[in-house]
Formats: sequence, structure tokens, C-alpha cells
Amino acid sequence: MRAAEILARDGPNVLSPPKETPEIIKFLKQMIGGFSSLLWAGAVLCFIAYLIEFSKDKSASLDNLYLGGVLIVVVILTGMFAYYQEAKSTNIIASFTKMIPRNALVIRNGEKYEIPAEHLVLGDIVEIKGGDQIPADIRILTSQGCKVDNSSLTGESEPQFRSCEVTHENPLESKNIGFYSTTCLEGTATGMVINTGDRTVIGRIASLASSVGHEKTPIAIEIEHFVHIVAGVAVSIGIVFFIIAICMKYRVLDAVIFLIGIILANVPEGLVAAVTVSLSLTAKRMAKKNCLVKNLEAVETLGSTSIICSDKTGTLTQNRMTVAHLWFDNEIYQADTSENQKDQIFDQSSATWTSLSKIVMLCNRAEFKSGQESVPIMKKIVMGDASEAALLKFSEVVMGDVIERRKKNRKVVEIPFNSVNKFQLSIHETDDPNDKRFLLVMKGAPERILEKCSTIMINGQEQPLDESSVKAFQDAYMELGGLGERVLGFCHLYLPEDEFPDNYSFDVESMNFPTSDLCFVGLISLIDPPRSTVPDAVIKCRSAGIKVIMVTGDHPITAKAIARSVGIISANSETVEDIAKRLKIPVEKVNKREAKAAVVSGMELKEMSPEQLDELLANHTEIVFARTSPQQKLVIVEGCQRQNAIVAVTGDGVNDSPALKKADIGIAMGCAGSDAAKIAADMVLLDDNFSSIVTGIEEGRLIFDNLKKIIAFTLTKNIAELIPFLIFIIAGVPLPIGTIAILFIDLGTDIIPSIALAYEKAESDIMNRKPRHKKKDRLVNHQLALYSYLQIGILQSVGGFFAYFTVYTVQGFKPDLLLYLRPLWENDSLNDLEDSYGQEWTKYQRQYLEWTGYTAYFVAVMVQQIADVIIRKTRINSVFQQGLFRNKYIWVGIASQIIIAVILSSGFGSIPVLNFTTLRIQYWFVAVPYAIVIWLYDEFRKLLVRHYPGSWWDKTMYY
Amino acid sequence: MERNSKPAGAEDASRNLPTKPENENEGNQLHSEDRDEVEAQAAAQWSLAAKMQQVKNYLWNPEKREFLGRSGQSWSLILVFYLIFYAFLAGMFALCMYTMLLTISPYIPTYRDRVNPPGVMIRPYTYSFAFNFNASERSTWISYVDSLHHFLQAYNDSIQDEKNVNCTPGQYFIQEGAEDKEKKACQFKRSFLGNCSGLDDLTFGYSTGQPCVLLKMNRIVGFHPGNGEPVKVNCHVQKGNKSDLKSMDFYPETGTFDLSYYPYYGKLTHVNYTSPLVAVHFTEVKKNRAVGVECQLKGRNIQNNITNDRFVGRVLFTLNIGG
Repeated sequence: MRAAEILARDGPNVLSPPKETPEIIKFLKQMIGGFSSLLWAGAVLCFIAYLIEFSKDKSASLDNLYLGGVLIVVVILTGMFAYYQEAKSTNIIASFTKMIPRNALVIRNGEKYEIPAEHLVLGDIVEIKGGDQIPADIRILTSQGCKVDNSSLTGESEPQFRSCEVTHENPLESKNIGFYSTTCLEGTATGMVINTGDRTVIGRIASLASSVGHEKTPIAIEIEHFVHIVAGVAVSIGIVFFIIAICMKYRVLDAVIFLIGIILANVPEGLVAAVTVSLSLTAKRMAKKNCLVKNLEAVETLGSTSIICSDKTGTLTQNRMTVAHLWFDNEIYQADTSENQKDQIFDQSSATWTSLSKIVMLCNRAEFKSGQESVPIMKKIVMGDASEAALLKFSEVVMGDVIERRKKNRKVVEIPFNSVNKFQLSIHETDDPNDKRFLLVMKGAPERILEKCSTIMINGQEQPLDESSVKAFQDAYMELGGLGERVLGFCHLYLPEDEFPDNYSFDVESMNFPTSDLCFVGLISLIDPPRSTVPDAVIKCRSAGIKVIMVTGDHPITAKAIARSVGIISANSETVEDIAKRLKIPVEKVNKREAKAAVVSGMELKEMSPEQLDELLANHTEIVFARTSPQQKLVIVEGCQRQNAIVAVTGDGVNDSPALKKADIGIAMGCAGSDAAKIAADMVLLDDNFSSIVTGIEEGRLIFDNLKKIIAFTLTKNIAELIPFLIFIIAGVPLPIGTIAILFIDLGTDIIPSIALAYEKAESDIMNRKPRHKKKDRLVNHQLALYSYLQIGILQSVGGFFAYFTVYTVQGFKPDLLLYLRPLWENDSLNDLEDSYGQEWTKYQRQYLEWTGYTAYFVAVMVQQIADVIIRKTRINSVFQQGLFRNKYIWVGIASQIIIAVILSSGFGSIPVLNFTTLRIQYWFVAVPYAIVIWLYDEFRKLLVRHYPGSWWDKTMYY
Repeated sequence: MERNSKPAGAEDASRNLPTKPENENEGNQLHSEDRDEVEAQAAAQWSLAAKMQQVKNYLWNPEKREFLGRSGQSWSLILVFYLIFYAFLAGMFALCMYTMLLTISPYIPTYRDRVNPPGVMIRPYTYSFAFNFNASERSTWISYVDSLHHFLQAYNDSIQDEKNVNCTPGQYFIQEGAEDKEKKACQFKRSFLGNCSGLDDLTFGYSTGQPCVLLKMNRIVGFHPGNGEPVKVNCHVQKGNKSDLKSMDFYPETGTFDLSYYPYYGKLTHVNYTSPLVAVHFTEVKKNRAVGVECQLKGRNIQNNITNDRFVGRVLFTLNIGG
């Protein structure tokens, strides 16, 4: 009864699902966003114009009605296309709810009930056993060997022991709390429910993640900026010419129709589709390179990244302990830490190595899982802890068949490692049949091992452990420890045959064998080594002006060592501490400006004010954050964003998700990452490899450049579509191109070439540039707009008009006659209009000629757009440097332009609404000289830009 | 080449934007950047007043003496560039047009496929192709009559006698010789039109409710209508009762366009050419109702049934005669 009350008060034990925009709203947004509203306005104007005409004359032409209909179809089709693309690429977030356990075993009133987990309330006692998901946040009351997997919450992959003692003030760290949605791996426990639903730890993270607003992506901002420019141009030209038309005593209705034409000519209807397709093509390409992009716009965001906050473990490193160094015979040897460890080049001839290798092999409890004979050694699954696994693999690589050798050296007795002894010991028979002695091998913390030794082996000879050898040991230990490596000491002792005959019974409890005066053999240090591709990737980032910040939970020394080895801290830069050490002055006296690098621990970060963090981020180029909690990641991301940077963040745990969401681009790990992280992220790295991010950045930068080219290509012909209307209004010539033909350029001939530009290769090494500045390097800058609109666009218009005048002239209407002919030309009852030769034309004959003019102008624009797509391949290099045929898709695009134009001009001429007619073959080539001029002029422009960088020409003409 | 690199100061300056927007030593920097910086500041500063100041600064920056983000020198360079560019374009366009026009004969159009087959028009010209008048009310038809008189001025016998030659009817008047030689035109006298000439009946029959309508075939250079057999005119009620149109007379009496008026050589050489006419005198039309009349041309290379074009080889009009 009480339970029902609490349930009524607190609500069910479920996570409230993230607020979702209803699908219909999303769809409608696509319908009215961007240019669509302009097109809607055009369509409405069309219908109004038709209604006005219809009310005056019942037999009014249906052209306006058709056009309005076509416009609506265009809006709906492009809207649906965009919606489909978005729906395809956004995977709807529901996986938080997927984590909810279904049923719970609850003890109420002294009896056990199985109830749905959402009915759990505060104070319920629940029982859990191995395999169950924990149904709410619980405090453990009793536990029998209960272990939980907290990896989805904290990222710790080791099973965590749970008991009923409080071990830490922080509930997240304490051993007596079991968390909602984590799994109980083994054992059983009972617990009392302390939090339910959204008040659980994971619920709070989920709500934090959804409350951290996702910032608008840079490309969305850029496209909005561009839409504003184009819409501004369209509306202002439209209004200016509306007024002009009214002043020129055109009927208001005609002026409205002109307005529609002007809007239509200005709006690049096909652009949104082209941009979306280009982005998804790039996303596909990136998926091949192990970057899975969830959100299309993230493709470009990645390209503008200026700071990467990267995890260490697994991303920068191989996430696998590996033998890095060995010390024996007073010398440090380096082991191969690459992914396959094939090249072990250290000196293996010394007798000391023989002894050491034996200890490594024998004093080791790890084993390969059976049935992996064909798997390469490094990929074999090992049962045992990380260090032992590393040593096992190491000896397998160096000596081969460890298991067989172990069998020959039968293990008699062993003491496993524990945290009190800090060593591990085992006693073996030897494989030498003549030697009946037992061999005692031991490994452990170097200082503890050394304590137990009285001799040291040098070149196979036991020598007394004197001060100089202790000093040598100390130095080696310090040096290896300073590299951030985990160091292990190894020693052995052959037990004298007389005291320990082969039937001697060893007893672990009483330790009836010597554990002192052993012979020290050597040190081996282990590290989770960097991935071999990472240093190059970091160098690439550096040359690309991207700052790489390491954020890790590891110890600062380890973090710093890895940072140095991958180049995040470059070889010659120092931290404040390094400078202090070198100059032998206290840390406080060091001028902080001198230090390029900084290693900041989580504790220090906690003390910092936002201003101090800003200063840190601004003044140091190489930063490592060590011992940070995942929550601090969010602080770091926000700090970076205050620097106006575009931040990419990697993460894998559930509690990384706020940072992933806050970042401009969140990158989740595909292998190690939890579902929550993958959901919060914009991108998933399938191979968890840092260098894949860099490849992604390269693709992102490329698509930004290519989008520029696509937009430049698309904008150009807008002028060629607009000028006819303006000339038509001002000079009163018959209309050079109809609105339907305009739509066929925008949505027909131009679509495939513009998408083909997305396949264009980079012109120069894009990874040698600085990241794009959010506010300065716009996608559409005024150079691009002016060059496309006022230069190439005008050139195309001139070419189009030349084609237009040509087809009129050859049919009898010379250019001088056409000027101000419009009132007569469009007069329906004038069926004997005289041309330049005195021939007389009916209205329909003129109409047909006008359509021939449309077709000629259309073809002229198409031909010049072929030149346009070729020149847009490059922005600065010559097209020939780029390779005219390297991008095959361009030629597919050009072929599509020609084919679509041929089909329209031949087959569809008979459909009256389309207003295309057949064109004599020679008039397809009228605009070719203009196309050639476009090409030559652009080559000339690029030549000057290349030869006079920084000049006035460069600043004005380079887009 | 590093395209995105900016002068070192720029980036730092942008960071300090909210505090100090400009400093003098940036004066010789990229103009384009300054403009973008203005935008950047506008984004950074929310207050309306600051925004207005930004706009004002953009329009005219007194400190740097810049209009719309460009200095005078920059503006003049831009203007000079576009002047040259457009001058070049204009030159190229003119050259192309000139070359194109050179290839065009001034006497014969390159193609005549769009103007062929010929259309037909009527006189008097009305916008709606409907003749609504009341024979007893002069004001309802006087405009038609005036229009016809005006149109037939050029056909006055005196003018035709003076300017044109008398041709042999029944055969094409083919004139050999150079293209640019002036061609002679055959006489088509107003008097050929008999009762519809407006010479005897000054009102062309409108005052008696028996209107004359003149038919004119559209001119096409070099066209030989009828292929040796004159094109004939035929009129009938388009839809409805055939008896609405009881009788009509044609002038010239054959109701044909005589071959001697063809071919037409174009207005440059065939200076005094007057199109031949066929007058239809509707002598008995049903009164007080709209009678739809279709006049068709019939001949070998004449089409009169093109769906889309109601004026090729035929013409439709309504007669609505009151009183």
C-alpha cells in the first residue's frame, strides 16, 4: 500500500524518453525552411495571377496555374528528399530506454514478488543475481561475491566488486552502491532501492545529456548565411523590378508574373539536394575509412575542427599492455611495441637473458584461450591480467611455444600476486634431466624484489649485490618509471639439491623454502603503447593547425610519456615543471609563457576558475589533462569553445555523453564505446583509432572546399536565368527563357554535374592549412558571389542572348526589330505581325518561335555550364594541374547535361506545357565561343592568383 | 600555398573583438576581412544601438574613410576592373552579333519553317474578331468603315497605276536577276473589290447590314501558294445552323488569290508590294444573333486544320448584326 503511495508520488521507475520532435513537424520544417518559403510565395503569386486573369476572362491561359502547380511539386519533392535524407541519417534515440531491465524480484511484506521494474519504489528491497540488470540505484545490504559491470556508466571495463561496506564518500566510487542499468556479472546480492527513474545516476546523466543543447553545426550556419544572401538578392531585385515594371506602365498582373520569374531565376532549387547528396557521399566515403557519421552536417564540422580533445587509452594507444623495455646486464634494451612486435632487436645472446626469459615464461599464470592455433599471437585472447598477458605474449613471440616449455618445467607450487606481498612466486622442476634442482622464480614490484636479493646476475654470472649495482638498478628503475611505464623486477634461485630433494613437499602456508638471498636478474617495463599510426596523425594535425589535447584518467607521468611518444608534447617543448627542473628553480618562479606544454591534473583543474582555464588553453599549445573525471571533460570542452574553437571530443563511457553532446563534434568509440556515448556522438570511430579522426578531418575539409565549388557552379547560372527577365522588362524583347526551362536547368541539367564536383580531389595539401575561422572563412564569401554573379554569370547571359538573337534572326526577326516589340509580339489578336523581311506571323507561329528561343537560350546556358563545371574543378590551380580526366564523375555529369538537353529538345517538344522545341544542330554550338572564353578567363584568373598571392587580384578574385 | 593563412594580427584582433573593435595599424589590411570583421562584431554585440552603429560604420567608416567596407582606392580599382571587363564583354558580344549578321542575307530569311504555312487575317481589324453593330446606328460600325478606308488607301487605283505593273494573271510573276535588284510589284487595284471596294458604297455594306470583310493571306518570302493553282477562299458557318449564312459574294469574283502576286521577294527589294485581297460580302446574314463564320483557304500547300493555331489557313470571326 505504501509502495503504491510512493509510486504515485515519484512516478514509475523509468527514464523519461528524450523529447522528440514529431515527424510531421520535421517534415513541415523541411517544407518551409530555406528557399522553400520563397518558392511557396512564388506559387501563391502564380495562383493569384491566374485567379485575377480567370475572373476577367474565363478562357484565361492555364500557364500560371501550371507553373504554380509545378512550383508546389518542386517544393514538396525537394522537401521530401531532404526529409528522407535526414531521417535516414538520424538514428532515433531510444537506446536509453533499451537499457531498462524488465522485471525485478522484490521483497515486500516479507514475501517475494516478481514485479515489472517500473513499479519499483524507494525503499523496496530487491534481490539480484548474476546476469541480471540492476533495476534501480540500490544500496547493497548483503552480497555473496557480487561483481558488476559498470563500463556503460564509468567506462571501467574491469568487473567491480560490490559489498555492503561504504568505501568512499562519493557514491560513484563507493563499493556498496549498485547502479541502475548496469549488469550484475556474478554472485548474488540484496539491496534497498535508493533512487528510481530519472533520479538515478544514469537518469541524471541522460537528462544532462539532453539538456546540453546541441549547437548549430557550422555548415548549417553557413548554408543559412548563403540562403540569406540569395534570398536577399532575389527579393530585392524582385521588388526593384516590380516597381520599375509598374513605373513602365505594365499591368500589375504582369508585374506580379515578372516577380515570380525573378524569384524563380534567383532560387537555386537544386542546390539543397546537391549539397545533401554530396554530404552523404562524403559520409559514405568516411564510413569506408572507419568514420561513421550519424549526422550529415557533422561531415563538414569535422573539417573545421580546430581542437581535438582525445582520450588516451584505446584511441591514442593500443589499449593493451606491452613490454616496452628490458633491463639486464646493467643495460636498458628497447622492445618492439608496434602492433605485431615482430622486430625484437635487443641482445638475446646474453646468459642473463636466458635466465630472465625463463622467469618471464614460468612465473606467469596467464594462458591462451584454447582453440586459437591459427590466430596471430598478438590477436590471441589471453586469460589473465593485462601485465601477465603482455609478458605471455612477449615470451611467446621471442621464444615460441610457451605452454610446451611450461609443461617441461612442471610447476610444483606457486604463490599468486597479492597486494600485500607485491610479488608472485612459483617453484618448478627444470627441463634439464641432469639437473635435479628446483628453480624458484619470482616477479613483483622492483623494490620488493631487490630487498629479497643478495646477488645480481651480470652476463650470466652471479655477482654480489654491491652498492654500484644497487645504484645502477635505481637509475634504471627511475628512468623506466619516468617514462610512465609499469616496471616489474625478476629474480630466481636454484634450490640446492641436498636441502630440497625431488620428493620435497613445498608448503605455501608455512613457506618452507627460501624467499631471501635470491639472485636479481632484471627489470621489464610495460606500457600501453601508442598506436603506430598516431604520431604521424598528430604531426598532420599540427601542420593542419589543429591543437590536440589529451584528456585521460591516467597518471600524469604515464600520460605525459605517451603524449611525448605520440608527439602531442613535441620533443623540444617543456612544461613548467620541466623548466623548473632544468633551471633548478621553484615551479612558482618559472615564467609560464616560456612553457609550450602543460600537464594538468584533475585536481588542479578542479581548483581553476574559468578564466584560469581560458588562460591555460590560450597560452599553451600542447596540453595534457591527466587524472580527470569524465565530468571534467565537459568543463574542458566548454573552455575550448570559449576560445572560439570548433572542438572534437572523443569518448566511450556513458558519462562522456554530456561532453560529446556539448562538443561541436562528439566522436564515440565503436569498439569500446557504450551505447549512450554512441547515441550522444555525431560520429562513431569504428576502429577506435585517432588517425581515423584525422582522415575524417581531411574529408571534412575537402567537402567544404567542394561545397564552395558546388555553390559557385550553381549560383553562376542564376544570373543567366535572371538577366532575361530584366532585359524582357526593360527592353521589351520577347521573353528569352521561360520559367519551366529555368526549372529544367536547376533541377535537370545542373544536378549531376554539381554532385560530381563533390568527388573532386583536393587542389593542394589541405592538411597544411589552418582550420577554417568560423566567422571569417565563409562558405559563400563575397568574392565567390561577385565572381559567380557579376563575372561568369554575366558572361553566360551574354552567350545566352547571342544564341537567342541568332535563332530569332535566322527566322526573320533581327535584333533591332525585337526591341520594344513585346506589346505587339504578345498581342493575341495580331496574327500578321511583320518581321524584318516583311513576312507576316500568326500569334502561334511567334509563340513557337519564342519557345525555340527558350530552347536556344537553355542550350546556350547548358553549354556554358559545361565550361563552368570544368572551371569549378579548381579554385586556384589550373584545371590541367588538377587533371582534366581524374574525376570521371565530372564527365558523367557533362554527359548528363547534354543528354537531358537533347531529350528535352527532341522528345518533349510536343508537350505544350514544357515549351521546348527542336533546335537545328548548328545552334547547339552558338554559345561554344563563350564557353571557351569562360574557360580561358578562369584560367587567366587562376594564373594571376597563383602568381601574385596577396595582390589586389588575389583578394578580389580568389573565392 | 597556404590559402587560409591570415596576417598574424587578424586572429588576435578577432579574439579581442568585444573590447576594442579596430586599431589603426590594421589600416592596410585586407578589405574583405575588415568587412567580415564588421559582421563578426555585429554577431558578437547584441544590443540594437551597437548594431546600428555597426551598420553606420559599414556604410561610412570615417576613421578609415571607407564606404561599404572599401576605401576609395579599392572602389576605384573595382570600378575600373568591371568597366574593362564589361567593355570586353560588350565588344565580344558586338563582334559576335556583327559576324552573325554578316552571314544573314538581307533579302531572304535563312529559314522560313516557322512562318510556313501562311496565316490569314481579316480587315477591318478588331481585337476580338467579333463584328457587333446595328446597321441603323452609324456609330456602331463607323469605326470598321474608317478602318477599311484607311487600309485600302494603298490600293487606290491611282497609286497602283503609278507604282506597280500590270501582270498576266494565272501565272507566278517570277523575276530573275540579282538578289538585291529591286523587284516589280503587280497591281492590285481597289476597284477589283467591286461592291466591297468602298468606292460605290462608301460604307462597305455596313449601313445595310451586309458587311464586307477583307481576307489577306500572310506574306512569306519566296512562297508559291497553291503550287500553280490559285488559293481559293471559302466561308461557312463554323458551328450551328448553316442557314444563318444564306449567301455571300467574293471579290475578285473568283474568290482566289491570283498567282501573279507571288512569290513575294521581301520588303527590301519588293518595295511597293501590296498583298492581294479577297473580299467577302455577306449579303444575307441572320440578324440579331452571333453567327460564327470560318473562312478557309483551300490550296495545295495550304493547311487549315492545325489545332494549336487557329489562324493558319483559316480565320474565325463572329457577325452579330442588329436591327
